[in-house]
Amino acid sequence: MLLLFETPGGFAIFKVLDEGKLSNVEDLGNVFSSAESARKMVKLKAFDKFDNTSEALEAVAKLVEGTPSKGLRKFLKANCKDETLAVADSKLGNIIKEKLTIDCIHNNAVMELLRGVRSQLSELISGLGEQDLAPMSLGLSHSLARYKLKFSSDKVDTMIIQAIGLLDDLDKELNTYAMRVREWYGWHFPELAKIISDNILYAKSVKLMGNRINAAKLDFSEILADEVEAELKEASVISMGTEVSDLDLIHIRELCDQVLSLAEYRAQLYDYLKSRMNTIAPNLTALVGELVGARLISHSGSLLNLSKQPGSTVQILGAEKALFRALKTKHNTPKYGLIFHASVVGQAGGKNKPRIARSLAAKAALSIRCDALGDAGDNSMGVENRLKLEARLRSLEGKDLGRLAGSAKGKPKIEVYNKDKKMGSGGLITPAKVRLLSLQPLVLSAIVTYLYCCFVQTYNTAADSLLVQTPASAEDGVKEKKEKKKKKKKKAEAEEEEEAKSEESSKKKKKKAKTEVEFEVEEPAKKEKKKKRKHEEEETEEPAKKKEKKEKKKKKSEA
Amino acid sequence: MRGGGRGPRGKGPRGRVPGGRGPRSGPGGMKGGNKVIVTPHRHEGVFIGKGKDEVILTKNLVPGESVYNEKRISVQNEDGTKVEYRVWNPFRSKLAAAIFGGLDDIWIKPGAKVLYLGAASGTSVSHVSDIVGPEGCVYAVEFSPRSGRDLVNMAKKRRNVVPIIEDARHPAKYRMLVSMVDVIFADVAQPDQARIVGLNASFFLKAGGHYMISIKAKCIDATMPAETVFSNEVKKLQADELKPAEQITLEPYERDHACVVGGYRMPKKQKTATAS
Repeated sequence: MLLLFETPGGFAIFKVLDEGKLSNVEDLGNVFSSAESARKMVKLKAFDKFDNTSEALEAVAKLVEGTPSKGLRKFLKANCKDETLAVADSKLGNIIKEKLTIDCIHNNAVMELLRGVRSQLSELISGLGEQDLAPMSLGLSHSLARYKLKFSSDKVDTMIIQAIGLLDDLDKELNTYAMRVREWYGWHFPELAKIISDNILYAKSVKLMGNRINAAKLDFSEILADEVEAELKEASVISMGTEVSDLDLIHIRELCDQVLSLAEYRAQLYDYLKSRMNTIAPNLTALVGELVGARLISHSGSLLNLSKQPGSTVQILGAEKALFRALKTKHNTPKYGLIFHASVVGQAGGKNKPRIARSLAAKAALSIRCDALGDAGDNSMGVENRLKLEARLRSLEGKDLGRLAGSAKGKPKIEVYNKDKKMGSGGLITPAKVRLLSLQPLVLSAIVTYLYCCFVQTYNTAADSLLVQTPASAEDGVKEKKEKKKKKKKKAEAEEEEEAKSEESSKKKKKKAKTEVEFEVEEPAKKEKKKKRKHEEEETEEPAKKKEKKEKKKKKSEA
Repeated sequence: MRGGGRGPRGKGPRGRVPGGRGPRSGPGGMKGGNKVIVTPHRHEGVFIGKGKDEVILTKNLVPGESVYNEKRISVQNEDGTKVEYRVWNPFRSKLAAAIFGGLDDIWIKPGAKVLYLGAASGTSVSHVSDIVGPEGCVYAVEFSPRSGRDLVNMAKKRRNVVPIIEDARHPAKYRMLVSMVDVIFADVAQPDQARIVGLNASFFLKAGGHYMISIKAKCIDATMPAETVFSNEVKKLQADELKPAEQITLEPYERDHACVVGGYRMPKKQKTATAS
């Protein structure tokens, strides 16, 4: 009988010398307690070494599934003619039996044999000592683990972190060298530093020109613009710099070469970084751009670490010093960190910048999780989120425009002075109108129907008196403030919206110049009027009734 | 350019600078700069740190690095060499809780080969790797890919940990990676864990080897009282030739947990002939 034994170094086939002992399973263990008796029991017949790690990985991966690899099949065919083979895995045994017509057995005795062989492995296989087996086993286990975890070398985020670090280093070096060129060559031709402000162009010109005397003869049209060239040629004649020897010029030229090659390499590195970012974190790149994305990953240490951070952290990553200082001194925390440099945040202005920064951070956190932990390799989610963000930015800016443009009638509404009311920007404009502009028509209709279901009342003529302009608007303001505090903004908006609408409808307003935005809201309002003509009167009822209730509440609270 | 990436800078533990003269830092009341006296524990490879509170420590195999942001203690010897220890948190590691609980013998010692079933992200495995040292070997088996990834990353730094991302229920699947081991430590939290340990022992545990199992009563059977669950498990183990030697509860670190330690295929003790 033969025994198949798998090691990290290869496959081994042992011949069982004393088959009689197999019947007594308990004592079989004792047989292998010493090397001598073990050798009397089994003998190594053949050993098939793995040629390299990839072959080992393939063979073992197949074994894990229970199928023999090609190498194993060849090995078995060569060595197992007309003998039964003892295997550790019955599934494997079945397949071997099928494919290679070698009888396989698997039972307790086999298990004991395997145990024994395993414990005396280094003795039984002469070429394979303990110290050889250990690193092989380690290497094989790592390869197998990587295979199992579907490790792909493209998705290693260490490359990003190193690349962005190198980019920063290169920038610093480039700047240092360029400054050095300027200073050095400035001895010879000081005016050039003021004429050419760009470092790369300066280096190119110096390289071309060498001594300033040559400037008049040479053509700088590839490097510089015409006026600059003319200035240069002028200045070279009347320059007050000292003379320099040719040897010095050679060295200055070498330095210029360095600067230029570094600049070229930096451009290449940036391209590499962009392509890596698109492979590793496509959604994040679509949302914030390659550079900001790479900085975020590098700041956190790895993509996985970054994915564990909540959106609020992503918003202020990079501003830790300001954050902890603010937390300690109980001041306002910073509004943006690395995310400040994203293009969407740059587009926003004024008050919208922090708002967009927060929204961007939230969407970015989602995209990062998608990239780090998800399977899809495309950037569809990132692109979608970006569109949403841009739409939000537009709506935020639209809100601002509306506020600045004034109210519906083309002139600001004068309100009764209320010292307790907190004013936002544009104090003379009724905030109710502003929110009217921003509410979505669908939401509006939903709230209207909901409110209608809540309060079904009969028409009350007495309530009409409450729809008079000035007191209503005063209550508007106070009610607004209180409802803001209750954080039921939408409902308040809806109510005020209805009031406003009802005011409009009851007033039979004359058409005057309106802003574009109000047109949009007018149409759905009109549509609703058409739909719910029956309920219109009841609608006017509800806000009126509500106002009454709230008045009473206020009076109670004040009392 | 705001905050360029100069290494992982997190909002986590700050001001935790290791190294430097003298022992310092620790959990539970210990802050940086405190003096801590390090003495060896009864168990070989484990150390006790006595400061304001007592902590158990293992000698860091990879000095200068924390595996899961645990505190490290640096001690300077008389001859000037620095030794770094890592604090072992009993609330996070069942093995540490068992040691705190007062086990007679954990059988994991420098140079031992350990099969660790249920390795998770490798936090306890790293401490076992510290104890067994570079001569020993820890075969860490973990089935979940997420934890497995962390385990493999930890194993890259520690060359005596062999990561195995397989189901512990099928030891045949990783038979080519593991050699005979001295100790099996099982923290799998599965209802059939006695069978799992028995199967793995029949494959890999040497005769006369030992095992340690952490039993979570709720996991085996949530309706039975914990004591009953533990005694049932012990009976199952005995049936598999895993003879239990001691059992301790992991209170106050874990509720309804017990740790059972025993031997496998122990050689029968020779009865000394009584003088007649």
